[in-house]
Amino acid sequence: MAGGGWAPRFWAVVRYELLWNIRKKKLIGVLVLALLLATLALVLPVVLSNVTGLELARNPNYVVDTGIGVGGLGMFLFAVAVAMNSISGEFEGGTAVTLLTKPVSRTTIFLGKLTAALITLGSAYALLLAYMAVGGTIVYGPQENLHLLPLSLLGATLSTLMWMSIVLAVGSISKSSLLAALGSFGVFMALAVGSPIISMASDQAWILSYLPGGGATGYLAGAGGGTPYTLGAAVSTGTDGIAANLVRYALNPSLNVTFFKVANRMQVVELYSEPLSAVLARSILVASAYSAVLLAAAWYTFRRAEVLD
Amino acid sequence: MDLAVETVGLTKRYSQLTAVKGLNLEVRRNSVHGFLGPNGAGKTTTIKILVGLLRADEGVVRVLGREVRWDAPETRLKVGYMPELPRFPRHLKGRELLDIYGRMYGMSEQQRREEIPRLLEVVGLKGREGDLIGKYSKGMQQRLGIAQALLGDPELVILDEPSLGLDPVSMVEVRNLMKGMAKEGRTVFLSSHLLFEVEQVCSHVTVIHRGVALASDTLQNIRGMLMGGGVVEVELAEPCEAAAESLRSLPFVSRVEQSGRILTVELKTRDDVRAHISRAITGSGGVIVAMGWKGRTLEDVFLQLVSKPVEGGA
Ligand SMILES: Nc1ncnc2c1ncn2[C@@H]1O[C@H](COP(=O)(O)OP(=O)(O)O)[C@@H](O)[C@H]1O
Ligand SMILES: [Mg+2]
Repeated sequence: MAGGGWAPRFWAVVRYELLWNIRKKKLIGVLVLALLLATLALVLPVVLSNVTGLELARNPNYVVDTGIGVGGLGMFLFAVAVAMNSISGEFEGGTAVTLLTKPVSRTTIFLGKLTAALITLGSAYALLLAYMAVGGTIVYGPQENLHLLPLSLLGATLSTLMWMSIVLAVGSISKSSLLAALGSFGVFMALAVGSPIISMASDQAWILSYLPGGGATGYLAGAGGGTPYTLGAAVSTGTDGIAANLVRYALNPSLNVTFFKVANRMQVVELYSEPLSAVLARSILVASAYSAVLLAAAWYTFRRAEVLD
Repeated sequence: MDLAVETVGLTKRYSQLTAVKGLNLEVRRNSVHGFLGPNGAGKTTTIKILVGLLRADEGVVRVLGREVRWDAPETRLKVGYMPELPRFPRHLKGRELLDIYGRMYGMSEQQRREEIPRLLEVVGLKGREGDLIGKYSKGMQQRLGIAQALLGDPELVILDEPSLGLDPVSMVEVRNLMKGMAKEGRTVFLSSHLLFEVEQVCSHVTVIHRGVALASDTLQNIRGMLMGGGVVEVELAEPCEAAAESLRSLPFVSRVEQSGRILTVELKTRDDVRAHISRAITGSGGVIVAMGWKGRTLEDVFLQLVSKPVEGGA
């Protein structure tokens, strides 16, 4: 195409979207909220140790273990804040009329918007991680393995991309930002409420590993008998657990994850074990597959959308 | 004939309603072409199809010689478009928006640095380019709409109701802007429901009503088409029956009415024949005090067109 080719047009869209994103009140709100929660998580143990007189143990792995520290709901809220207006907002605000008549293909506009959303998200998470690194060092002493934080960032961004794909798909199909937010919140809640029920009511908790969200819960350090509480750290097998599992895997590639169920009379029965590497690879594939399908749906409807008013 | 816009049998339906019915439109290059019709005539619908916001149900659309199907960024590269009551992202500054749009047209940094301040000046937004668009009035957004339609040196500028919502002073400015675009060698295609606006800037006019083109021609011919010819009013020093008689014998005069010292001369032609009239009156002993051309306005034509459609148009 004449006049500079594809790349300058793509980056113009990214720029358009980034300038819009950084001035969004919603996004700033979620970021401030996340920083507040992070502060609370850091400060609360200090307050408690002062009250109880118990000294706070040093923990050199606090920061890599905690990661961005906002959990599934936090990542979902970031996804909504970044993506809910991205496509539907152009139609609702009437701005699609000029944007879509510029000499940029709809596919380029879609890719530019997606890229900007990922950049925004990555920057917000990098800020959170830096904040946690500083705060964690102050509260828990010198931190180790900080070089693994980029993995944490990558993992959290991929997990959030999956939620964002739901938001974008609903937004693109409905052309309504409200539906994009509420619809995907409905999906999130249904999974959040439904997952524990599935895992408690059946032996089929593995299904959860193929759904968006927290997935099934297993425990590290193999089957030691007794109750899970005496076992190692809990592992989420779902798409929300990618960051934590990436870091665990990098620290110790040979870990196993064991799954249990609570049977009659509170007896704990071991179901099966699998390598952490398998859990991790599966969750990455699942998150990527959902993202790919949902983004394709969003792109396809956006590309064909007429601008009625 | 070199056409900037051509549609053949263009049809667009919104569920039940057919908003555009078999429209044949021809906009010549380097003309200022008015697309005239009352509200709901189908102007915006047609324009949105030209710029790729709506899909045609039937018919062929060519813009700048290329057939437009769907999502044709190469064609849009040379087309500027101002939507009806344009709206822009509230969170961007006027300057930022033009800069980003400029990048989308593939303008270099140098080009943007020169062109954007010039455009801001032209549309009268200078000094406000650093404000967020959310703080702009409707009129300022309209001006920004014109500025962005001129980015990237377009060959064709499409303006949908460019003076909608503007105060009278701004309307005059916008009209002058359109004349300026034409002088720069661009084709201007503007829609309007305002007859006097079209009359003041357009060289060609297509009249559309209920999705059907009623007529399409030069402004002059559109006027002349249904009116026969012009009307000349002559004021004499004193009533003179011989003068009226001599005028009636002229071949291009269809009717002469005398009322005191005033002669109203209806013509069969649109040509300016005042010299002939003057000679005839003087030759028969009349003395002319004043003489004026009283053409009928486009408004008259429009009302006549609406009451008796000319099928097919174009
Ligand atoms: N999105 C839409 N859905 C249904 N009908 C529409 C829509 N947009 C326009 N129309 C109808 O199509 C006809 C033509 O509208 P429009 O092209 O906007 O006319 P104009 O621009 O000449 O005022 C009108 O009757 C209008 O009510
Ligand atoms: Mg209109």
